[in-house]
Amino acid sequence: MAAALSGGVCGGRGDWRAPFSFSSFPAASSLLRGEGSVFPVNYASRIMQKQCFPPCSDLMGARLAGSHVDAQEPRTNPLVSVSDEPETLYKRLSLLVKGHDKAVLDSYEYFAVLAAKELGISVEKVHKPPQKIERLTLLKSVHIYKKHRVQYEMRTHYMCLELKYLTSSTAAVYLEYVQRNLPEGVAMEVKKTKIEKIPEHIQQPVWDTLPQVEGTEVKS
Amino acid sequence: MAAPAAARALRAVPRMVPVPEATRALHTTPTCLKTRAARVRVGKGDKPVTYEKAHAPHYIAHRKGWLSQHTGNLAGELGAAERAVEDAFLRRFLYGTFPGILADEVVLKRRANLLVVCAVLARSLAPAKLYFLVGYTETLLSHFYKCPVRLELQTVPSKVVYKYL
Repeated sequence: MAAALSGGVCGGRGDWRAPFSFSSFPAASSLLRGEGSVFPVNYASRIMQKQCFPPCSDLMGARLAGSHVDAQEPRTNPLVSVSDEPETLYKRLSLLVKGHDKAVLDSYEYFAVLAAKELGISVEKVHKPPQKIERLTLLKSVHIYKKHRVQYEMRTHYMCLELKYLTSSTAAVYLEYVQRNLPEGVAMEVKKTKIEKIPEHIQQPVWDTLPQVEGTEVKS
Repeated sequence: MAAPAAARALRAVPRMVPVPEATRALHTTPTCLKTRAARVRVGKGDKPVTYEKAHAPHYIAHRKGWLSQHTGNLAGELGAAERAVEDAFLRRFLYGTFPGILADEVVLKRRANLLVVCAVLARSLAPAKLYFLVGYTETLLSHFYKCPVRLELQTVPSKVVYKYL
């Protein structure tokens, strides 16, 4: 029992289940570990199966290839939905990330850009707008001493990531992944620029559609 | 014989003539207001002090990190006052729930709805009691704040001393 607590992280989460379920927010790492997951299906279920059958014995050769296990019972992931509606297209997806710590923002930028590259999303540009500093000057003492003041400041650093040409489902997946891994103390603002079809009444120039009007003479 | 000698002695002593302009008074300066916020004053060298306490607040973001991480104080974000009140309550609550065991200040992290409380404890309580206290804290605080609360602990043999002041 003493060994269990020696210097390691112990949250005791496995021992205590809340009486009611929260809309809890498990981090991606805990999802991959498969512990305390809120979702009924483990995202890493495929990977776990492959790890369960090490390619050592020949007797299990027919069942070793991971894909064959699923062929008999095709399992559809309840979280993936397929629909026939046309997807909304986004010309630009702009993520503005703000935080107090520049190092945290740098590491988050590396993570977001890597995630975009892995998903095949083209990154338009990554730039850092200048920081904003909010300063307060307060009296140092509780009573009198007006000449002695104290100054505080709050610095907000920004990082803007712009992605181009996404579909709505790609954007949804990317945003969900990137927002679930948003570090504490960091806020994100998302702006999407949609591509829409030109409305029908504007597609043809007006002067082509109007009927030919004969010239009328105006006598003043 | 003594009288002329005494008279000569009196003449030898410098005469103190009172000057009307001179006054005898105590000269004072207005109180020198040194900053005292979040600083441990230097003493005899017998006071053990942790890294957190040893550094003054102007070292935040240079040598120190933040004890409470949330988005309330960012430009254009709301809720700073509410988070501050919650932080104050949480620190007092944890100071009382783990009496004398807290080795250092508690770090509070807010990720979306989740509140993560990171505490460093000394190993002076039995593990069974610690497990109970962890569960008690998590359940009570999550009922109180209506959000999931997770307590992440680290145990340390004794308080980590940075220097003696």
